[in-house]
Amino acid sequence: MTSHDVRDMLDLPGEAAPRPAKKQKVAAPRPVLKGLAREVQNLGGDNPIAIVPEVSVFKKKRFGSRKPAAKWENRSFKNSARDDETLVLKHWRRKDESSAAPSGEGEAVAQDGGVVEDSTFAKYNVKVITPQYDDEQYQRHLQDNNWSKDETDYLVSLARDYDLRWPIIWDRYEYQPAINLDPETAEVAIVAKAENRTLENLKARYYTVAATMMKVHKPPESMNQAEFNLLELMQNFNPNQEKSRKQFAEAAFSRTKEEAREEESLLIELKRILARSDKLAEERRELYARLEAPPSTGNIGVFTSSQGLQQLLHQLMQADKSKKRRSIMGPDGTSPAGPSGLNQQPSFDRRESSVRESTSGPSGGSNNKKGPAQPGPTERRQLAPEEMQLYGVKIPERIPSSGPSFRSEKLQKPITSKSSVQQQKMLSVLTELGIPHRLIMPTIAVGESYEALLGGIATLIDQRKVMEKIQGEINTIKEKKRREEEERAAKMSGFGGDGVGDDRDVKVEEGEREKSAAPSMSDTGGQHKRSASVLSAVSEKSTKRQKK
Amino acid sequence: MAPPNNQKRVKGVQIHRPFIYGTTAKLFGEDNPKPPGTPADHTHSWTVFVKGVDDTDITYWCKKVQFKLHESIPNPMRMIEDVPPGGAFEVHETGWGEFEITIKIYYVPESLEKPQTLYHHLRLHPYGDTEEAKEAMRRGPDIKSWIYEEQIFSEPYNEFYDILTSPMPREKGGGGKGTRVMKGGMVGSVGERTASIPLTTRPDQPFSRETEKLEIKRLEEARVKVNDLMDKMSDDLKEKEAELDKLKREYNQPGVRA
Repeated sequence: MTSHDVRDMLDLPGEAAPRPAKKQKVAAPRPVLKGLAREVQNLGGDNPIAIVPEVSVFKKKRFGSRKPAAKWENRSFKNSARDDETLVLKHWRRKDESSAAPSGEGEAVAQDGGVVEDSTFAKYNVKVITPQYDDEQYQRHLQDNNWSKDETDYLVSLARDYDLRWPIIWDRYEYQPAINLDPETAEVAIVAKAENRTLENLKARYYTVAATMMKVHKPPESMNQAEFNLLELMQNFNPNQEKSRKQFAEAAFSRTKEEAREEESLLIELKRILARSDKLAEERRELYARLEAPPSTGNIGVFTSSQGLQQLLHQLMQADKSKKRRSIMGPDGTSPAGPSGLNQQPSFDRRESSVRESTSGPSGGSNNKKGPAQPGPTERRQLAPEEMQLYGVKIPERIPSSGPSFRSEKLQKPITSKSSVQQQKMLSVLTELGIPHRLIMPTIAVGESYEALLGGIATLIDQRKVMEKIQGEINTIKEKKRREEEERAAKMSGFGGDGVGDDRDVKVEEGEREKSAAPSMSDTGGQHKRSASVLSAVSEKSTKRQKK
Repeated sequence: MAPPNNQKRVKGVQIHRPFIYGTTAKLFGEDNPKPPGTPADHTHSWTVFVKGVDDTDITYWCKKVQFKLHESIPNPMRMIEDVPPGGAFEVHETGWGEFEITIKIYYVPESLEKPQTLYHHLRLHPYGDTEEAKEAMRRGPDIKSWIYEEQIFSEPYNEFYDILTSPMPREKGGGGKGTRVMKGGMVGSVGERTASIPLTTRPDQPFSRETEKLEIKRLEEARVKVNDLMDKMSDDLKEKEAELDKLKREYNQPGVRA
């Protein structure tokens, strides 16, 4: 039982010593203590006594292994980075016994032979590599109306001196045109003096020179990546852009607090407007989609009963709900235009809040609850035309029915949908043309030409029908004519006056002829072939005539 | 009743997939010995199959195929499923008579479509319109009656549409099976779930763009012929109409009538 457990039982707060006992037990002192010291230690129980004598053991210095003190010498050195070559300074350096071992700082090793070592810091004196050119090269490549060669030289030397630190170069730039005796160049120089070079001017000139010389020394084709990048960079230098950039930066730097705030609020406003326009477009699209929704073509038989109606209502409500949810989900994703900035501007705050209320009103809560449960209709991947061909996707003008079907069946539709007589006719035409009744490869392309062919055949059959009809009529008229002539002949030959008898006589005659139709036809000539339909038409007409 | 789902059909879209079905029959003989246990009166071994053109994969839209054989054959309803990608749904049998096989194609469950039925006549003996065609077939190693067909999915459901229009999901380490190199001049490989068909014809692969072109050519020629006939017919019609007109006028002339 420890004090900790007692505390725990009594529910006392705070743990005076969060179980230090364990640590103490395993710790070093226990085995070390002997005799009285141990007894004293035990008196403390759980809370160990602090006055345990601490045995401080000092490390014994190992004087035996110690090396003799390092020797130092005052060595002279020079600094190659300095212009004054003769200057020799001295510094303390550790003297190394074995002269071969360098002191590890990479300096040149040389003492005795009169050659003084170079300073370690000389290597940090890096010089800029400025473009080099001679007169001829200048004449050929670097001519510029605004710049004389002297001034260019001056600029380049300045750039070298100040390590391309442009502000300093610009600051120190005090070009005095050389007073030349030659009047022409003097004139040019005077013109040049009038120029007040800006920083961008200087940079532009320098970069042009550098880029040109770079190209002269090495054609761009053979440059490596780094060199080419540098060349591009220098060639693309645009002084005007730089100037305006700096102006903007300066303006931004020197604006007042109010201006900054206004700018910020304007940005927020812009964001808000953009977000709203998104929302508006979304809503408009949805509206259009709703307007375009095709009228239902489904079977309404299901909904005729009251139970069915109930179901329909339920369905519609479900659909409506999901739609509403989606319409709110849209702007919610985009509208948080940055409420942190809005607190500063009370007017915007008000407007924003009113907008919020209107968009996420009562159903805002449900949005959180059931938002991800029902994902909206996912956007289908848009297929490229070649993909559509690859995957055999087609968008025909009309799809008679959805579901699976076979193309050969589809292609046979124009035939199978006809009456069996018509089918027979079409098939016989196809056979005549040497086209098998079943297509070998019912592909889309084949289908198209097959349809065209069937269309042609259908018209051909129609034409034949019309032809037969006309032929029939011709035959009818011919027949009538012939009969009338016979009638007339009969009239001429016999009994005049008695009309009734005459009529009866004709009737008898007709009856006779109808019985022996075929032979008499061939006798009279004119028509060689008569179809049954033609014959019946004739008889019908003749009976009509009789009734008159 | 509509399928019990909340999926929508992709409106206005039609997707097709080519495949072939048919039979291959072979007379028993020296190079095709009768397997033991075959009834004595059986003369042929034959296979009825449904597969992709040039062995392309069809298993991503066709789940199983039921072949309904003749009732005299034991266990005539043969359901073939779990075919590996690129394989054929097929039944091997022996027999002596030709009959009509009913082939019922079941689609993958994602399609939510009902199965469709095809009919195919088992051919054991050479057939053809002409004697030469028959003779050529007789000389061939086996009697093939293969039909090219295109499966059309009109307005497929969303999920199925996605299956049909996306490349095969490549499994890690499954490179062996899916990426078999095509034998013919096919664009793509077996793994591709496309609607493409081979460019050229091979002896065991008669359906290709070439065949298609030939057929189109034949159809076009026939169409030209029909057009000629139509022109001639319309000329004839005009002639006849003129004749009829003339006759009518003559007939209706009062002078003649009276």
